[in-house]
Amino acid sequence: MSMINKKLIIAFFSVLILGIIGLFTIDQATQSRINNLSVISEVPSFQLDNFDGTSFTEKNLDNKITVASFIFTQCEGACPIMSTNMGLLQKRFSDSDALQFVSITTDPDYDSSSVLKEFSDKYSSKNNWFFLRGDINDVVKLSEDGFFLSASLLPTGHSTRLVLIDKDRNIRQYYEGTVDANIIELQNDIVTLINKG
Amino acid sequence: MKKQLFFQSAVVSTILSYFLIFVGGLVRVSGAGMGCPNWPKCGDGWMPPTNIDINQINTTLAWIEFTNRMFGVILGISIIILNVLAVFYFRKNYNLLFASILSLIFVIVNGVLGGVLVWFELNPYIKTVHMLFALILVSILSYICIKSYKMINTTLFKGLKKNPILSKSLIVFWILIVVEILLGTGIRTNLELVSIENPLLSKGELLNALDSYKYFHSFLGFTLFFLSAYIYSKLRTNKLYIARFLGIFILGMIVVQIFLGEMMIFFELPQLTRLFHTWGSSWLVGVVIILYNCISNEYDK
Repeated sequence: MSMINKKLIIAFFSVLILGIIGLFTIDQATQSRINNLSVISEVPSFQLDNFDGTSFTEKNLDNKITVASFIFTQCEGACPIMSTNMGLLQKRFSDSDALQFVSITTDPDYDSSSVLKEFSDKYSSKNNWFFLRGDINDVVKLSEDGFFLSASLLPTGHSTRLVLIDKDRNIRQYYEGTVDANIIELQNDIVTLINKG
Repeated sequence: MKKQLFFQSAVVSTILSYFLIFVGGLVRVSGAGMGCPNWPKCGDGWMPPTNIDINQINTTLAWIEFTNRMFGVILGISIIILNVLAVFYFRKNYNLLFASILSLIFVIVNGVLGGVLVWFELNPYIKTVHMLFALILVSILSYICIKSYKMINTTLFKGLKKNPILSKSLIVFWILIVVEILLGTGIRTNLELVSIENPLLSKGELLNALDSYKYFHSFLGFTLFFLSAYIYSKLRTNKLYIARFLGIFILGMIVVQIFLGEMMIFFELPQLTRLFHTWGSSWLVGVVIILYNCISNEYDK
């Protein structure tokens, strides 16, 4: 066999091996995204009120992918950014009925239904975003025991993380609600959940 | 002997840089660019975490990105060795010395640019510049390869007929292929931007939503095909085997790339096709530099 032919064969096999490495890596990356969304825990039962007066319980999480956050309307730091980001996601997924949004106030004393309604008008563009209030002890319990998010020194001490919940009420992942890269990640994970269940 | 060693060092650096472009492409198609959320460290340490990480780092993506960085460092070391050899042996050969130093500058700048890319959370413009610099780097390294090869094999390149039109068309080809690759990354960027605003669109719908300059990418692709056919026809009877071979390589690679490009439209952008579409095209950049220097016979003067 001539030198050149040998080199061509080596080149061909190198490309083939690179192709296999490439396929394997891409497959691993895809798998890791799904694994990254493994079930963390189930949301426990709770009962809060939406700003329109209707009751909202864990059963309302069934058959919907939910993005949840803890906020309060007088908050000037993280909450406006978190809520703007949730509003952005709401717009981007407005064609899908698979998704809903939940924001729970950590300041129920000030955040009356009408205040929450006003807040909703500012950030929400569709009726699939629920702004919930209830007894402060219930809220703390839900945050700490249900979502494993710290809730000390309320109202300001609430977590700035967004929680992704699947249609079987399972918590799948947390995202820093003020970081753009995390929001993109959340968005990609929502697509993964919509496509793969 | 010295020349041989320098030539081999240049070949190793060139192959490593193409390999690095491949790994970089793999980072892009697998979406692992932010696998390490910081730079130069990866997470809390210099190495990515090995098991499930408390900071929610996806360890698989972190390792893909880390491999890219590691090969970058290896290429850097290889180019430092090339520079040491150049300083020792070719202090008087300003072409080779200058080209070696330039390659060192570009590999360092592009490494730092990779870090900037992470700091700016994969800003699409920095991505494109990162790619452009990689293409310039392989061009410089290919130049060093062919120049040092010609020094070893001077007799091989004697008595060749010059063809100024062919040389000029190779320059045009180099410029067009770089523009074509950057247009391709532009298409990719636009797809990503449209997809962020419309996460529910399928890949096919995304392609339809693209700007009209995707047609320009195809148009330029076919222009490159005709140009490469012309280059091939002019080289078919060339005395140099390497020139004939590279002529076929260029034409063949363009045909393969057009085929891969069409595949991506009909089969909705499978990631591996994207990877080889970019990587194969990047080979043309260096090959054209080699061919250009092959047929310019400065040893006849």
